[in-house]
Amino acid sequence: MEKSGSVDSLGSKRSSSRQPSVDSLSSTSTSRSDRSAQAKPPSAMSSDSVSTSAEFSPELRVKPKISAKQAIRDSDKEELQLLPNETVQDMAQDVTYFCPFTGALRGTVTVTNYRLFFKSMDRDSTFMLDLPLGVVSRVERIGNASSRDVSYGLVCKDVRNLRFAHKQMEDTLRKSIFEVLMKFAFPVSNGLQIFAFEYGQVFPENGWKVYDALSEYKRQGIPNESWRITKVNDHYELCDTYPSTLAVPVNIPDEELKRVAAFRAKGRIPVLSWIHPESQATVTRCSQPMVGVNGKRSKEDEKYLQAIMDANAQSHKLFIFDARPSVNAAANKMKGGGYESEDAYQNAELVFLDIHNIHVMRESLRKLKEVVYPNIEDSHWLSNLESTHWLEHIKLILAGALRIADKVESGKTSVVVHCSDGWDRTAQLTSLSMLMLDGYYRTIRGFEVLLEKEWLSFGHRFQLRIGHGDKNHTDADRSPVFIQFIDCVWQLTRQFPAAFEFNDYFLVTILDHLYSCLFGTFLCNSEQQRLKEEIPKRTVSLWSYINSQLEDFTNPLYVNYSNHVLFPAVSLRHLELWVGYYIRWNPRMRPQEPIHQRYKELLAKRAELQKRVDELQREVANRSASSASERPGSPTRSITPVQTFV
Amino acid sequence: MLTGSKTTFKVRQMLPDIKERMLSQTGVNARSRDLFGLRCLPGECVLQRAVMVRKKLTAREGRGWLSGTLFCTHFRVAFVPQDSPKPDDNADPVLLGDHDVALASIEKVVVVGPNRTKLVTPNSSLKFTPEELVLYCRDMRVVCFLFDRLTPESQVQEMTYSIAKTYQPPKPGSVLSFQNAALGSVEMKQFLSNRRRDAHMNWFESASDWEQELERCGATSWRVSSVNDRFEMSTSLPRFIVVPQKVLDTELKKSFAHFNEGRIPRWCWRHPRGSDLLRMASFQNNIYHEKDDIRNLEMILFGCQSSLCVVVELGEELPSPADIQLAHSRLRALCLGDISTSMSVPDDKWLSTLESTHWLDYTRSCLRKASEVACLLRGGHLTVALQEVEDRDMSCVVSSLVQVMCDPHCRTMYGFQGLVQKEWVMGAHRFYSRINYHRDNDKEEAPVFLLFLDCVWQLWSQYPSRFQLTEDFLLALHDSVHLPLFSTFLSNCQRERCKRSQNLGQCYTPVNGWRDVLHPDSSTDPSDPPLPPVWDWSLQYSKPRQSRFTQPVPPTPPLQPLLNGNLNTNPDKHRLTDAVPGSVFLLSRGTFSCPTNLLPWRNSSSSSSGVYKKSHRRALSSENVPGLERLLKAWALVEFPQALTSTSGPQGPLDPYEPLLPLLMGPCMGLWRECYLRGALHAQAFSHPLSANHLHPVERLAQEVQQLKDKLEQVSTSTDPTPPAVTAEPRRADTNLNQNTNNGTFLFPASRPQSAGALRAAPLPTSANQHTSRGAPAASAPQSRPAHKDTGGSSKHTFLFGHSSVIDAHPDQRYYSASSNAKLPKSNGPSLAS
Repeated sequence: MEKSGSVDSLGSKRSSSRQPSVDSLSSTSTSRSDRSAQAKPPSAMSSDSVSTSAEFSPELRVKPKISAKQAIRDSDKEELQLLPNETVQDMAQDVTYFCPFTGALRGTVTVTNYRLFFKSMDRDSTFMLDLPLGVVSRVERIGNASSRDVSYGLVCKDVRNLRFAHKQMEDTLRKSIFEVLMKFAFPVSNGLQIFAFEYGQVFPENGWKVYDALSEYKRQGIPNESWRITKVNDHYELCDTYPSTLAVPVNIPDEELKRVAAFRAKGRIPVLSWIHPESQATVTRCSQPMVGVNGKRSKEDEKYLQAIMDANAQSHKLFIFDARPSVNAAANKMKGGGYESEDAYQNAELVFLDIHNIHVMRESLRKLKEVVYPNIEDSHWLSNLESTHWLEHIKLILAGALRIADKVESGKTSVVVHCSDGWDRTAQLTSLSMLMLDGYYRTIRGFEVLLEKEWLSFGHRFQLRIGHGDKNHTDADRSPVFIQFIDCVWQLTRQFPAAFEFNDYFLVTILDHLYSCLFGTFLCNSEQQRLKEEIPKRTVSLWSYINSQLEDFTNPLYVNYSNHVLFPAVSLRHLELWVGYYIRWNPRMRPQEPIHQRYKELLAKRAELQKRVDELQREVANRSASSASERPGSPTRSITPVQTFV
Repeated sequence: MLTGSKTTFKVRQMLPDIKERMLSQTGVNARSRDLFGLRCLPGECVLQRAVMVRKKLTAREGRGWLSGTLFCTHFRVAFVPQDSPKPDDNADPVLLGDHDVALASIEKVVVVGPNRTKLVTPNSSLKFTPEELVLYCRDMRVVCFLFDRLTPESQVQEMTYSIAKTYQPPKPGSVLSFQNAALGSVEMKQFLSNRRRDAHMNWFESASDWEQELERCGATSWRVSSVNDRFEMSTSLPRFIVVPQKVLDTELKKSFAHFNEGRIPRWCWRHPRGSDLLRMASFQNNIYHEKDDIRNLEMILFGCQSSLCVVVELGEELPSPADIQLAHSRLRALCLGDISTSMSVPDDKWLSTLESTHWLDYTRSCLRKASEVACLLRGGHLTVALQEVEDRDMSCVVSSLVQVMCDPHCRTMYGFQGLVQKEWVMGAHRFYSRINYHRDNDKEEAPVFLLFLDCVWQLWSQYPSRFQLTEDFLLALHDSVHLPLFSTFLSNCQRERCKRSQNLGQCYTPVNGWRDVLHPDSSTDPSDPPLPPVWDWSLQYSKPRQSRFTQPVPPTPPLQPLLNGNLNTNPDKHRLTDAVPGSVFLLSRGTFSCPTNLLPWRNSSSSSSGVYKKSHRRALSSENVPGLERLLKAWALVEFPQALTSTSGPQGPLDPYEPLLPLLMGPCMGLWRECYLRGALHAQAFSHPLSANHLHPVERLAQEVQQLKDKLEQVSTSTDPTPPAVTAEPRRADTNLNQNTNNGTFLFPASRPQSAGALRAAPLPTSANQHTSRGAPAASAPQSRPAHKDTGGSSKHTFLFGHSSVIDAHPDQRYYSASSNAKLPKSNGPSLAS
């Protein structure tokens, strides 16, 4: 079929990726082999829990000086290293930490405006716990006032619970350290500033420059003859949860957009997310139409969807994917919402994807937490896991994204994706299908762009869903929508291990800093709010940190298959629980073998071979230049690399 | 199974029919073997042929379809892809091609029509023309053939009938007829008799084989006894057993009666820290223990350790054969779906149904028991005796798992084969009954060996780089179990095997052990073909596939061929030095105890025997229990991380004998998807035939190098040794990278076939076309393999200079030049030309 031409395209056509694949591969591999020569110990920790916290709590990796990383690494495990503008708020001796795996430990607790730091010298080895306060979802005092010990439970957003206890304060005026902690764990509720605004670290890279809407549209070839960039939302007047830059069909004037906005929930009109470079089939996203009980119609909306369909000459059909179960979609009619009727929208086919709402997902993750933390019941592990339905939800999301990708790629049909408001399930579906369709998003920078675009600029409500610095832990708006998305991405990386430039650690880091409040990236609910709060000016972007030490996040076996479409197997038989994230606190779960180490060795070997190919190439050049006359000289030269190898 | 006489009758009736319908019978002549593109075995008859058939490729093979011709012979269902190159007439016969299915491994035949699915039995008749033919195999493969509209309808129907009528073993003797179909011809017999045994592995058949193992392990105070040479002491024990030096054969003879089936404690393996692993059956209680006997019994049991013996009872915590059989049949049903109705377990019940098979529980309990034993042995200077009632099932599993965990040699392919020979074949695991080839002994059937393979896979998946063998090897072994062709699996003990092969003229010489001697008339004997061992992989797998059985680059710690038995720089603080001779403990459910009736003779003689005073012994035991328990704890939570860092860190040399202790928590026990789910059609419901148009960069690199080489050859007419050496190297690295995909490393679950997809268009030199990309490493791997035993440097050396011959390079050249012209990235062109 396309067999012959495509290899050429790998070598020459470089529309989306940064470098030709062979070059990029070899360059990364050489650099990696150098690094592995430095003998970086994966985890030579003194105690089990220390290593887990050191390995996975990324704040330890945020070093004042990135260049001196190796030197610092050993020392920062021993002592608390304060970040710029991090200040110690309180310290307490003789606090007991009830580790669910190793038992009670006595030690010192330090609370800063960013973290809780516990250190114990109880055993022959030191034990440390380093917890960014942003992770804390709830602090509760356990036990009655009369007893001599006061006990506090910290419920964390990252699937763990911690329990501490200390002696009753003799000085009743003095606050317990955990009261202090509560103040700094919930700065928003206490009229304080989130630490991200104080964190003054300067990184060589500026992550706020990673995403520029116009250049991303330009990368996709927008504007073109059917799609234009509109500035109608420049001041967020059309829709306050949308970005200022939108791509819409060429033949719909701005005036009409406003009328379409009136018919779509929260004014979130259908806009372009992604366009297929060849077939021009598009992925567009929006919110539900305001159909209501009476089945209201909007001429402008119908015309608009027709325009989206017409923009793709390949197909005379349009698929509307409603992420919700059909029952929920119908129930939304009572609240004025609903779904497109196929009568009103000619040539459109409506498909429900049966993905449940944020409340179901929250409950599912809660159950999952019960099953995995702290202890796992081995004999009923699988049925317990099944009863959380977590993997089932993951499957439905992946299956939905797969259907979208399939329609666009194989059917060459444009699709419209929406749920109710178009900022939760819609973001999951569009970004996952874009990840399957476009290899650019599978690079580190491309993935950052994808998050900035589909999640941040299109108004996934991070503040509400995560509840940064907010003590109201029962808030019904909280939901692990974004975690689910990252889980789905992880599932994809499992099935296509060489298709992604980033590794597991990259995904875990994103999730850790989703809560940590160290970076400004995931603060606020929309682009408008972020602009108002001057987030890019006042905080550091997570991408600044990540892009400054890319090698930590790079998948050694990444192969640039940029024009491949990934169609994962979404059956539950092929999904797995992401143990590296959900069960990472359990010291027994650590990966047994640093397989990446071996990959790096192999890549080093490969780099060596590449070098020899280069040498040979040079030799061929020499030979063809000097033709047959200088033949006696060359064999000796060609033997040399072999000898060095042996 | 249940069909009985009726089917028997049918088949008998059918026999003349077969002859009529037979398209051809191949002659003795080698040249006429090639029929319609199918390379027949000598004496193999083609019963039916269908053209324009497409075979569905699994994820591992690269997905998509492959078109070609389908054959049904009286031995196999063969599929020959279009454009597959003509096989070399002089090559050795391969029983099964890469796309073939042996009739004996077919379990069910299902056809899919326009809107219906039907299970085909020998006497069913089809009322529609099948569009799809699905073969469900015993080894859990599902092979799917799609008939084109251009396939003649009669061919489709006849093909279905032929397969349905020939595959089922209708009566006990059918296994034999199957063997005859495959191996029975004069030519084949001759070929098999001339096969040389693989000298790389230890077969454990002769006394010298055992002595070699003793030497390898440094077990100096043990000796090989031939007391059971004529199977007079025990019918199930091998001819040679290893016993302590100090026990004489005459003393030894008296001890057999004290053990079930005469399976006395025998040495299996010695840990480099000086502990010995023994196996024995349960004690015979209804026997009078004479004083002299007791002394001998204890000497055998304590082996060379004077101090401490731990008896590990394998009955209680491990699954019984019946449990294993039930679990496995449930697992099959789950993974293959209900075959006749094409129904499968709904996705939302998948996890709990998988759990309810208990298969993963059983692998976990075997691994746990083996880990316990491994930790005990690591403690040093004690004897661990595995005890099972019959000593023929779980003790095979546990003793061999312990050795896989502790001995790097057993993680190489040859080492592992030797291990199976030692613990399973010579240890008299009842392969024949447990596999139940004849379907006549359902009570005894239990895939104990498959459970063991699953356990090894679990270990492999947790420590892939510590194994020299690969998942492909385990899969090949798994599948071979279902082929009733191999002497390895067709007997229950060495005695049976000897009986069988004696008919064929094996003879025994005291010096060399058994040796095959071709009787002048054996080749004409029609009934009994010589059975090859399963380890003769060339009979089943092409060279490229065999090359995937091992990692081309051996695991980083150099494999020391010799353990000198005294890796005794043991810093272990738990070492039990102060134990007084004669302490025996029972390990059960993770705790040690010293029940008075543990050794039956002690119980009866405690009052009379002055040597072992009861009170004295008890005092000792309580002192030692904590020490032993500390050993066990070594793999529990507290000390575990240290063990890990010592094995995983790139810093410092790691102790190669540190056991690989698996994680056994629920989330760590994986399902062997590559094996159990590989044929499941539902697994690919959403998968799309990916456009496999990109070569892996490494393979591209190999191609580039090849091109360069070609250019070099054009430029210089002189034979330059260097370029071929260089080309061999990259492809080695390429296998190397791919081998690591065992873990699922590449873009596609199976990356190798992906490249094959791209290459498919080009004419290929070998028949194994989805593996052609491996062609080159295959040529080099076997030769470099012996070098693995040496240290890394020298192996590289042999490799580089052993393969620079022009002969080696030539087939490659054909292959690469055919595809490279079209496919090489353009960017490369200028640099080459300039």
